[in-house]
Amino acid sequence: MSDRPSRLTFEAVEKSVLATLTPASRRYWAAVGLLGLGVLVGAGCWAYQIAVGVGVAGMNNPVAWGTYLINFVFWVGIAHSGTLISAILHLMRASWRNPIARAAETMTVFAVCVAGLFPFIHLGRAWMVYYMLPVPNQRHLWQNFQSPLMFDVVAISTYLAVSSLFWYTGMLPDLAIVRDHSKGAKKRIFTFLSLGWTGAHEQWRHYTRAYLFFAALATPLVISVHSVVSWDFALGVVPGWHTTIFAPYFVAGAIHSGLAMVLTLMIPLRKIFRYERIITIEVLENVAKTIIFTGLIVAFAYGTEFFMAWYSQNPVEMEVFRYRLTGDYAPGFWIMVMCNTVAPLVFFVKSARRSTRVLFTVSILVNIGMWFERFVIIITSVSRDFIPHAWGRYAPTWVEFGIMLGSFCLFFFLFIVFVKHMPSVSMTEMKEMLQEGGGHD
Amino acid sequence: MDRRTFLKLAAMGSLSFAAGCSAQPDRTLFSRVQAPDDRITGQGLWYASTCRECPAGCGILAKNREGRAIKLEGNPLHPVNAGTLCMRGQAALQGVYNPDRLSTPLIKKEGRFVPLSYEDALAVIREKAAEAARKGPDRVTLVTEMAGPVLLSLFETLLKRWRSRSPVVFEPFAYESLKLASSQVFGVRGLVSYRMEKADLLVSFGADFLETWLSPVEYARRFKQMHAPGPGEQGLYLHVGPYAGLTAANADRFMPCRCEGEAFVALGLLREVLERRAASVPWDVGGPLKRILAPYHREAVLKMSGIRKAHYDLLLTRLESARKPLILGSSGAGENSPATDAAVCLLNTLLDPDLALIDFVHRHAVERAARRREVLKAFRRQTDGGARVLLLNNVDPVFSMPPGTGLQAILQQGSLFVVSFSSFMTETAALSDLIVPVAHPLESWDVYESKSGIWSFIQPVMGNLNRTRPLGDLIASLALEGRAAREGYRAHLIRELEKWGVIRDEAQWVQAVQKGGVFDLRLPEGARAATSPDLRPSWSWAGTLASAADPGASGTFLAAAPSIRLLDGRGANKPWLNEAPEPVTQVAWQTPVLMAPETAARKGIHPGDILKLGTAWGELEAPAYLNPLQHPDLLVVGIGQGHRAYGRYAEGLGVNVTDLLPPGVHPLCGGPLYRASPVSFALTGKRSKLAATDGSRIQHHRKIALTVKAGAVQPVDKGQGAHGLGMEAFPLALPLPEGYDPERDFYGPHDHDGYRWAMVIDLDRCIGCGACAVACYAENNIGVVGERGILEGREMAWLRIERYFDETDPMRVLFLPMLCQHCDNAPCESVCPVYAPHHSKEGLNNQIYNRCIGTRFCSQNCPYKVRRFNWFDWPWPAPLNLQLNPDVTVRSKGVMEKCSFCVQRIKAAHQKAKDEDRMIRDQEVVPACAQTCPAHAVVFGNLMDKASRVRRLAADPRAYQVMGYLNTKPAVFYLKKVIRDV
Repeated sequence: MSDRPSRLTFEAVEKSVLATLTPASRRYWAAVGLLGLGVLVGAGCWAYQIAVGVGVAGMNNPVAWGTYLINFVFWVGIAHSGTLISAILHLMRASWRNPIARAAETMTVFAVCVAGLFPFIHLGRAWMVYYMLPVPNQRHLWQNFQSPLMFDVVAISTYLAVSSLFWYTGMLPDLAIVRDHSKGAKKRIFTFLSLGWTGAHEQWRHYTRAYLFFAALATPLVISVHSVVSWDFALGVVPGWHTTIFAPYFVAGAIHSGLAMVLTLMIPLRKIFRYERIITIEVLENVAKTIIFTGLIVAFAYGTEFFMAWYSQNPVEMEVFRYRLTGDYAPGFWIMVMCNTVAPLVFFVKSARRSTRVLFTVSILVNIGMWFERFVIIITSVSRDFIPHAWGRYAPTWVEFGIMLGSFCLFFFLFIVFVKHMPSVSMTEMKEMLQEGGGHD
Repeated sequence: MDRRTFLKLAAMGSLSFAAGCSAQPDRTLFSRVQAPDDRITGQGLWYASTCRECPAGCGILAKNREGRAIKLEGNPLHPVNAGTLCMRGQAALQGVYNPDRLSTPLIKKEGRFVPLSYEDALAVIREKAAEAARKGPDRVTLVTEMAGPVLLSLFETLLKRWRSRSPVVFEPFAYESLKLASSQVFGVRGLVSYRMEKADLLVSFGADFLETWLSPVEYARRFKQMHAPGPGEQGLYLHVGPYAGLTAANADRFMPCRCEGEAFVALGLLREVLERRAASVPWDVGGPLKRILAPYHREAVLKMSGIRKAHYDLLLTRLESARKPLILGSSGAGENSPATDAAVCLLNTLLDPDLALIDFVHRHAVERAARRREVLKAFRRQTDGGARVLLLNNVDPVFSMPPGTGLQAILQQGSLFVVSFSSFMTETAALSDLIVPVAHPLESWDVYESKSGIWSFIQPVMGNLNRTRPLGDLIASLALEGRAAREGYRAHLIRELEKWGVIRDEAQWVQAVQKGGVFDLRLPEGARAATSPDLRPSWSWAGTLASAADPGASGTFLAAAPSIRLLDGRGANKPWLNEAPEPVTQVAWQTPVLMAPETAARKGIHPGDILKLGTAWGELEAPAYLNPLQHPDLLVVGIGQGHRAYGRYAEGLGVNVTDLLPPGVHPLCGGPLYRASPVSFALTGKRSKLAATDGSRIQHHRKIALTVKAGAVQPVDKGQGAHGLGMEAFPLALPLPEGYDPERDFYGPHDHDGYRWAMVIDLDRCIGCGACAVACYAENNIGVVGERGILEGREMAWLRIERYFDETDPMRVLFLPMLCQHCDNAPCESVCPVYAPHHSKEGLNNQIYNRCIGTRFCSQNCPYKVRRFNWFDWPWPAPLNLQLNPDVTVRSKGVMEKCSFCVQRIKAAHQKAKDEDRMIRDQEVVPACAQTCPAHAVVFGNLMDKASRVRRLAADPRAYQVMGYLNTKPAVFYLKKVIRDV
């Protein structure tokens, strides 16, 4: 932490963060309105689908899962890095993460919310979704806890609960700072939100303990949630899914995509909110270095999959992987490979990983690549599984694109509403970093 | 708001709310308040009748539930079909319940049809016919489909009253060349039937006897009796022809030849046989025959016919070694068909002078159909300008005949009054002056003589759906007088049958109606004389044989192929038949142009490219389909689609290939030509997607549709644990506790309660006809998704016939019926979060529709991809919904469904067994697919019963499980197809 900006003072941190909470410009509200419109488009598409049937999407037999589950896995993946940054890096005392922890956690919470919508959208009978909840009933119908989808319900709801509590707990001192610096209705709101935080020694003691415990609690979840998501596939018999590498492969991929999304969000945020002194280029550089690492892990996973298919000499497995390389969806496969494993290699060049332009471009590429990774996994395997007579292809329809647009709009809508009204950088943790160059205790 | 306003508003609000709800559904649950004596609510009543979807005349049993016929099955007592039906028979119900059925007579006034009553319609007919009859004899013409003898004689009575000639029976496929050959060679003017089951070698020169030829259901059964592995020696089937439809695809060897080249193969064989068996020739034919056959030596035959040398030699050696060979003729489609058929008749005579395999007594009813030449003559008679009346009974010549015949112009003449007795607005009906819709055969009384001596009764199997009147009653009221006219057709029918000696009295009538008919009527002595062959040395066939003409290098041919689904086009308005894919191409709802891959490659044509086809008589545009099973100089287009009328399921779909056909008839036999040459074809630059249901034509060396060489069937060692885990090495694992092995299984076996239902499908018996799939649609209320749905990959068939071209021999086609395998270790069951797929105590993999929330995980995880998702609510436009089986839930959008092994039938058997305090007997439960299979390829039963047929067949050395290495322990066993070494 030697090249930390030395001129930054507590006051400067507070000032620059609080400056972001001033009444918003018309341009901001226009952006909010536009995103809200996008959300409405998505909602309209979903309503249409409920009224007419899931057939308005492009899925068929054999490809009965389409963009809804691709987007589900994509958003769950995005949700991963927030907790990774705030919990695991916190436990590891990598305090470079402090400037971006708040935004990353926010990203996590909203991404889980968006991801959580997709299984509902995906369902043939969304109105019967409560069958998945253990509601007591006179027929003693129960859920099948053998099903990976039930694992999902448990894993995702746990993750949402823990990550939002973690996020909110971490925000308490900052909310109190905003309260102390505001008047009128805003003061009343923040008085309520800050839950009576006074900054007393006892409160700080509890707070740091709680934060640590949450971090410890959230850490295994980072690993488990995406492992569980991967079991939706790995526990099936489908060639290309039925493999033991899926859990670590998915976790690495999730972190890869999450880190990319952190960059995608932080770079404009840093520019618009003039956070250059807080979110320094070193912070972004560290994220980029991690992306190289996760990119290499996913590259290794891709290679392993092909090796295993060849090594098994099972014609069904081999055909699926041949199809991925050269078949109808080969462009998707090559986009995935280029974006996820080749593009991040530019970060080996120091000047590249210190250029916000390169960082931003690569982060977008990785996001695209990770979306296609899920596309390749979900579509190609069932498209060519065991019975050649039943092989078929899939293409998304306008309804699916509408819902996808809606999901992105919803995410960015929530995010920009948050960053303009809540402290988007943790002032508390920034100060801790300035104070001692370390973590909480 | 004051108190009073509130009360007013509240009252108005609740009143309007109540008024907005409809008090009761429009339709009552039961069709009639007072049920007939034999009706028990909730139980089916079975009525015997006769299928009238083609001229074969199969016996049916119709299941009537609460007044509505909901399912047709074959009548097991009937000698033609012995209890089975083809897909057209299964779909006959969709003729009754067709939403486009006309319900009231329509008369054309100023170019538009206006409804009128039956009385008025009959009065119009009487008036017009009487007017025409006054002007002279023969001014009323009646063209009818193939009908029963009583109705035909009533037609005759009617026409006599109007001083006119006998009715003309029009069938698009009237087998003129077969009839010519039979009369010339055997002296039998008619269509003999074949005792195929007794043959040890069957050679067909184009006869598609598994699809449309004469009586396909009957011949499918007889063919399999001869061909399927059994205790005795198995017969061999060779097919010579320019293209392979389903029938040729079932041959042990399909021998492609040039179009019109079949004749030379037949003549060449005749020449060789004549030489070798000169001594046994029964009558002196030597001289002229030898002279005619002189040019057809081996080299000439090979050159003219284009048949491969190896194939020709194989034919020769097999014919030589066969003890009971039977040769079948052509489909009567081409210029050389009469020569082929005459040569085939002579071949049969030379090979077996007793003609023991030919049944001259039980001849096919369709022999009464007029030759095309006579039909055309009857129509052309209408053009002399005088007032005439043309009555058409359920025929659609405007669709079935080439436009060059000028039929449209004939029907549109002002001086001609055309009456169509038709329930649908067909192309012909649309040009008529009066349309009189009639009751469907399933709603009427009649009799049909399926084959000589087989009198098959037609009785109403349900009440009349839309108050149309039966044709018989209408004709009776026109033809008869006084009491006879008032009593109607049924009384007339009984009287006539008594008069003709079919029944003795009304008591026997009742018995015969219950049984389905009188199946063993002894013919009067006089009639019998004409039914034995009279092999006179007449040599009238000499000219026919000599008519075989080498088409030379006359370019590409076009062949119009009859369709197993739509026959001549009459099936085109039935959604099930359109939805069922064509067995060989797997294309549904469309009419592609089939061409050999090398032909396509030469012109740079890819599948789905829209081609413009042109002949001297017309042109049309249709998508290309590459079919390896045909000669390169040939394009094949199926008959049946391309309707310009005929209701929502037919209109505007596909193309009508008759537009390209020559309007003339064959000079010798007077039959129509279903081939044309030369045909030009060119790319239009447009492309379309083929609605094909197959994802791949080959099985990529997977354990799916397996074959075994005849003689190589070895009992497999089912020793426990002795085998590997690979695709090939994995042993047969019964879906029973003994199929579990701790070496391979992590979880223990299921407990089954007395029964473990299972199925055995013999791939060597399966002919791929698809009757099972359509029966399944009928039984299980399966939705029809239409062309778009199939293009999107959303067909709902619970049972599909997978068609694979053999990877080792691409000329060999393998069919595999694929349905839910009811695995004991089912991948679908474990992944559903809400237990919608549920393993029953009897081993069934039940799908609980109202528990399903539509995650579709089960479908993703099903290795067999047999689960079907309801992407939408599928439409059953009224009254098609009345056909729905009340024992089976109609699934709504958003739920998964699949084959249930006809659980409703299992449950019914349970109730019966419980009433009688016993176990369900073997073969007591027959699912709809097994019931209708003409080849008896499907066996269903209880695997826990060691004496059951399925249990015994599962131990057959040919038994295997599809993709068994996944250890799903399927309850559907397949028996490998036997490949005869030819």
